[in-house]
Amino acid sequence: MAERGTNRRPDHLTPVPDPAPDVGALLSAVARGDEQAFGRLYDLVATRVYGLIRRVLRDPAQAEEVTQEVMVEVWRSAAQFDSGRGSATGWIFMISHRRAVDRARAAQASTDRDARVGAASIDTPYDSVADEVTGRLERQQVRHCLDELTELQREVVNLAYYQGYSYPQVSEVLGTPLGTVKTRMRDGLIRLRDCMSTGVAA
Amino acid sequence: MSADIHTLVGPYALDAVDDLERAAFERHLRECEPCRLEVDELRETAARLADGAWSVPPPRLRENVMAEIANTRQIPGRPPEVAAPGRATTSRRRWLVAAAAVVVAATGAGTAVYAVQDQRVRHEQALAESARASEARVRSVLAAPDLVVREQPLKSGGRVTVATSSLLDAGVIMLAADGAPATGRVYQLWTIRAGAPASAGALTAGQSAIVQIVDGLPDSSAVGVTVEPAPGSAAPTAPLDALVQIT
Repeated sequence: MAERGTNRRPDHLTPVPDPAPDVGALLSAVARGDEQAFGRLYDLVATRVYGLIRRVLRDPAQAEEVTQEVMVEVWRSAAQFDSGRGSATGWIFMISHRRAVDRARAAQASTDRDARVGAASIDTPYDSVADEVTGRLERQQVRHCLDELTELQREVVNLAYYQGYSYPQVSEVLGTPLGTVKTRMRDGLIRLRDCMSTGVAA
Repeated sequence: MSADIHTLVGPYALDAVDDLERAAFERHLRECEPCRLEVDELRETAARLADGAWSVPPPRLRENVMAEIANTRQIPGRPPEVAAPGRATTSRRRWLVAAAAVVVAATGAGTAVYAVQDQRVRHEQALAESARASEARVRSVLAAPDLVVREQPLKSGGRVTVATSSLLDAGVIMLAADGAPATGRVYQLWTIRAGAPASAGALTAGQSAIVQIVDGLPDSSAVGVTVEPAPGSAAPTAPLDALVQIT
């Protein structure tokens, strides 16, 4: 199954044998008011939450503000998380993405956001190499799976997810009919789902 | 509508819908178990894309967050599942409530576009204030377990969405026109009861979107939209721009 080079996990990159409790367990502890568990949860997800929000908003100061709102929201509503509907990390990223998009749309109304297509390159000033080995592997998988999409699928997913565009905006930017954009969003996600589920098993 | 609305599943999972579509789609989800499963999976997939975005936040952020949560009260957990059958689950409500917040915020932002640019900042502050005030009520209506959402296009371009809850005896009218009417004219909302229209509020000149709470809306038979001479009329003088049947 993992015959592709990108799925290979070189021995020296194998993450530290998981002493990290999983996000789901931490989230239930957080739901019971455990601040220490929240601190550990923060450490597990903050780079991705901040990374995602920053990628959508592009402005580090705003991203910091929204990340704080999201993390406080996670604390507030941890007991509302419904494990029957998805993973704890998924839930946290959904809140993050939603808040980032809300903020971006509000900003779009008054400022002229740079509408460059494709991934914005973002420096990571606080990037420290040591604690990101696992993260790199995850990113590799996302990139690998995005590469498996058709060009149009990749563009619509990128514009919507990483840039916070609505589907009519995507349609306008790409000059592609609305119906096609909607369909590509759906089948792109389905293809991503299939690719990611095979990769995870590795 | 439901066959058509389901085409939004991809955009919805990517948060690429607007607030009105979101409310309508979430209504659709409540009635369609297989759709919900598909959405959950696609949302989960979309969330995995966050793995592709990675940036280490400034260390002070952790301190700030920890300090804030120490003083933030948590929302109690979901009640045990003894609730009446057919009640919306907490998670579904949560999404809908979140959608409502966006409706209000987006309306504020949309209106700001047409505000005088020089006064933009002051304007946005005022809008944010009023948005906060009505947000709580809009949220409570849109989160009602018996919410019914209906939508019609405006002949002049755009949409009007009407969400009603008999339980709360209230409703929300969300108007999102593609643009403001010609100078000197405004959009006006009407509730129609026993064949007689009553004004449910007129927009101001240059305004193209509004979220309006209307008490007793479920008792009306329809909601109408017209374009009236500013600042609005006592009774409709123009042909209907849209009509949303409630009963």
